[in-house]
Amino acid sequence: MDQTSESSAGKPRSFHVNWHNLLPWLIPVILILIWQLAATAGWVNSKLLPSPLAVVQDGVRLWQTGELPKNISISLYRATTGFVIGGLAGFVLGLANGLSKISWLLFDSTIQMLRNIPHLSLIPLVIILLGIGETAKISLVTIGVMFPIYINTFHGISSVDPNLIEMGKSYGLTKRQLFTKIIFPGALPTILVGVRYALGVMWTTLIVAETISSNSGIGYMASNAQEFMDMETVLLCIVIYALLGKVSDLIAKALEDLCLDWQTKGGAAND
Amino acid sequence: MTKAVVKLSHIYKQYGDNHALRDVSFDLQPGEFVALVGMSGGGKSTLLRLIAQLEQPTAGTIEYADANLVTRVMFQDGRLLPWMTTLNNVSFAAHDAKVQARAKKTLTAVGLAGFEETYPTELSGGQKQRLALARALMADPELLLLDEPLGALDALTRRNMQSFITKICDASHLTTLLITHDVDEAARMANRVIVVKNGRAVFETPGAKGESPERVARVADEVLKVILAPDDQAKEGERLG
Repeated sequence: MDQTSESSAGKPRSFHVNWHNLLPWLIPVILILIWQLAATAGWVNSKLLPSPLAVVQDGVRLWQTGELPKNISISLYRATTGFVIGGLAGFVLGLANGLSKISWLLFDSTIQMLRNIPHLSLIPLVIILLGIGETAKISLVTIGVMFPIYINTFHGISSVDPNLIEMGKSYGLTKRQLFTKIIFPGALPTILVGVRYALGVMWTTLIVAETISSNSGIGYMASNAQEFMDMETVLLCIVIYALLGKVSDLIAKALEDLCLDWQTKGGAAND
Repeated sequence: MTKAVVKLSHIYKQYGDNHALRDVSFDLQPGEFVALVGMSGGGKSTLLRLIAQLEQPTAGTIEYADANLVTRVMFQDGRLLPWMTTLNNVSFAAHDAKVQARAKKTLTAVGLAGFEETYPTELSGGQKQRLALARALMADPELLLLDEPLGALDALTRRNMQSFITKICDASHLTTLLITHDVDEAARMANRVIVVKNGRAVFETPGAKGESPERVARVADEVLKVILAPDDQAKEGERLG
């Protein structure tokens, strides 16, 4: 009996867990291998599509010269600053409009009109008004991030089960307790969906902003490399954006796992 | 006669043109277990919502024994907070220093000891209702309002919960109002059964709490006849309010 349980809970299980951890990386690894093979075998013009190895070597070189860390840090600074400002603005507006009908009547129509303007179409206006400095790029990220967080915060708060709010009131909760114990936790899953989506918008906006109007950052590195037909660096920048996007998504996922662990529980017990 | 815990006098409730309640009067005496029984849409839940002060009557008065009467509602759907553990669901509305200890004691009283860190989604239907009951009992209420609390349970769990709730209410001498459409449940659990039909309290009879199954069946049968009788046959002499 013990042997059976050992064999079923021992090696096979650990292999199963490892396999599940590795599976998401299978397709990227296969694509990189095919890419490397195509470059090595001469199936593609290596000047137009350098091998992954050449891209990595370029990355190491740029890291050693200090150019890569400098540009990554400036991009991270712009992304996080814009995300924090836009996220806070979207959250506060969503909160106000979700909790107060007067606030909703006052702000929502205006926000909906502004939301429907593609924020990247504001780039010429932002460059004219704010130049190509940090404020311009951070402002663009802020605008891009604000609306998804606003929409999800507002929707999350207004769709909290009214029966739970009624229960809270009947149990004597104050307005503040009602918010902290029922409304906010009830809205949190939807708010975090907004955060995850906004992280994607954050990188997209920053790439475009840095490519069009910048003299630093990963986007600038890419557009500058394009001028000199430095395809290794162009591809390196694309890979860095992909990695930064993946890291952002992992952070958002970790945040969801931390705050919403109750959602993963389930399976009613027998009475 | 002791002062009623709650007394309803000539209550009317109207939603637009719809008369949900018409001239309803009754009271709840201390320690009494009263069941309001009737078909869906008859006005039972509206009465409970008025007593719980979740809504206001269109006309009539509701008097409470004490202006600060502690009333708790156990809702049909439990209304548990899925993001809180069992322990936090019980203690979330309490603010005293010994709240955790009291919450654990209350969970033990309803048979949920050992489930403190469990989330509601991990509990069975019966356990969820026990948790909802524990939450209601946590405030040491003087009036407990049960809004069809066992409607979603299977027959066996339902029967267990009926005797469990009766036992707990008796032990703390708790004034209780049960809303149900199950005549057997009303007859078995209550000291007094009131039939609510088309917005009126049309019939009242002593319940058969703690009595023989035959007596329970007789009371249930009597109540059922009143519920199913055409409106014009409702006994005017036994009409309340």
